[in-house]
Amino acid sequence: MRYSAAVIALFIASVPLAAQSYRAPRTPDGHPDLQGIWQVMNTAAVNLEDHIATLGMPAGRSVIVDPPDGKIPYTPAAALQQKENYKNRAKADPLNICYIPGVPRVMYLPFPIQIVQTPKFVLMASEFAHSLRRVFMDGTKHPDVALFWIGDSRGHWEGETLVVDVANNLPDTWFDRSGNFHSDALHIVERITRTEPDILTYEARIEDPQVFTRPWTMRMFLYRHKEPNLQLLEYECNAYLEDAEKESK
Amino acid sequence: MRKLNTLNLVVAAVTAAALMTFAPVPGEGQDAPKGGRGGGKGKGGPPGGEQYGPYYAAPVKPGDPVGRTPDGQPDMQGFWTPRFNQAIFEVQDHPKAQPGIGPGKGAIVDPADGRIPYKPEAAARAQELLSKQIYLEPEAHCYVSGVPHAAYQQFGYQIVQPTGYVLFLTEYAHTYRAVPTDGRPHISPNIKMFRGDSVGKWEGGTLVIDTTNQNGKTWFDMAGNFTTPAIHVVERYTPVDTNNVNYEAVVDDSTIYTQPWKIAGQLGRHPDLNMELMEFACVEGNQDLVHYTEGVGGKAKEKGALTK
Repeated sequence: MRYSAAVIALFIASVPLAAQSYRAPRTPDGHPDLQGIWQVMNTAAVNLEDHIATLGMPAGRSVIVDPPDGKIPYTPAAALQQKENYKNRAKADPLNICYIPGVPRVMYLPFPIQIVQTPKFVLMASEFAHSLRRVFMDGTKHPDVALFWIGDSRGHWEGETLVVDVANNLPDTWFDRSGNFHSDALHIVERITRTEPDILTYEARIEDPQVFTRPWTMRMFLYRHKEPNLQLLEYECNAYLEDAEKESK
Repeated sequence: MRKLNTLNLVVAAVTAAALMTFAPVPGEGQDAPKGGRGGGKGKGGPPGGEQYGPYYAAPVKPGDPVGRTPDGQPDMQGFWTPRFNQAIFEVQDHPKAQPGIGPGKGAIVDPADGRIPYKPEAAARAQELLSKQIYLEPEAHCYVSGVPHAAYQQFGYQIVQPTGYVLFLTEYAHTYRAVPTDGRPHISPNIKMFRGDSVGKWEGGTLVIDTTNQNGKTWFDMAGNFTTPAIHVVERYTPVDTNNVNYEAVVDDSTIYTQPWKIAGQLGRHPDLNMELMEFACVEGNQDLVHYTEGVGGKAKEKGALTK
């Protein structure tokens, strides 16, 4: 039997969570325990889409599972903007001047993320610039007052899965080093599931009608760090940037 | 558009916050201005002016007996406002005004004179840094604070206690400080960091945090009181009721001090129990470096710049 690539991609996109059988251990308050130090092993931070290698940026396959072609469904104007961003990325990438990476980018940077849980919060602490995500688990709503670099995250549990709604995003963050971008209309729904003892399946549905013709979804794994002495250190980006600027003078 | 309007507000607020660290340098024949962080109504710090303001919290009324977390730790979770006199400006008593720093009390309780027991050459270095603090103060560069400065961080912090950790989440620069309480040893002395390496343990009702591995790039305050990588700090957080925590820290560094010294202060629970931290996005809104000249590490050209 032969399937078209699109059908196979759809199949892959829809099966893993439905077919999940692993049941994660529970925290004292009865929710799946996602705690630990995690990190991706992919090149999404370079480019979410399929990409060949360039200097300092390894090749990698698209982490976008919907649409099935693995491409971000930009409007024509936004596609031009992305090309412009790519061309200017050395100066225009907000991470190159050490800004807070935003969501979802902070989740797949090449830096470890520590997750801790309390009944009120799921906290995600990245080693990159001490960036912190606080996911409120107390049923509260997004504030109506401000936009944040790291957005505003409110979560709830659906069985094995932590579902996080991310709004109040500033428009100035990028998705990756290749200029993939969004506007302040960005709305993200993340689904994070411990599908195996040492794997978190991370999925983010991206919606932004000002930039994309339709919502799209990325999916990837975060792997548990198992080195016995591992702990988060620090990457104080802006301090190193200052040092580098001084050295280059 | 509502969101664009709120965006502007946020950008304005963050920019304003960053600019608050920016104070003019007195020219010849001028009095030293008394402005600076927390300078209410443009008059500078609190001494002689208002007693409490954005950086000077009022004492908090006694609360209920301290509760316990599910794993049995004394429960300090919530939002806390530090009260350490005017230590964020200068950690030692500072009766004389400096540019951007009003006169005031610090938080040192030992030695009794409230001053850091510097060795002579270290005292000279602190004085030199004080004269350039406008440009060199680490927070003007958006560096995260070291320890114990983090305990009296401006804008306060939230404490969260998941199993095995005490976490301090600060609004300033939107960062965190993670203190494991699982008995692990310090990391290798080969690794130095702005935040250092903190390990904690509960001694009865007191959280004792031992911090080493700092990189010597942070200050205690805005006033040039510097640190070195040899600094060793032992902090003690003692919750006395649900609204109040007593704090003290012993600071030791035999390379620059003649004896260990101690600071003390209190944390008061924020009156709004439903408060949420906002995002003080320091690097993103920082205007200081734009105005400082290249000669002192900023980005402005020398000609026509404010000062050298």
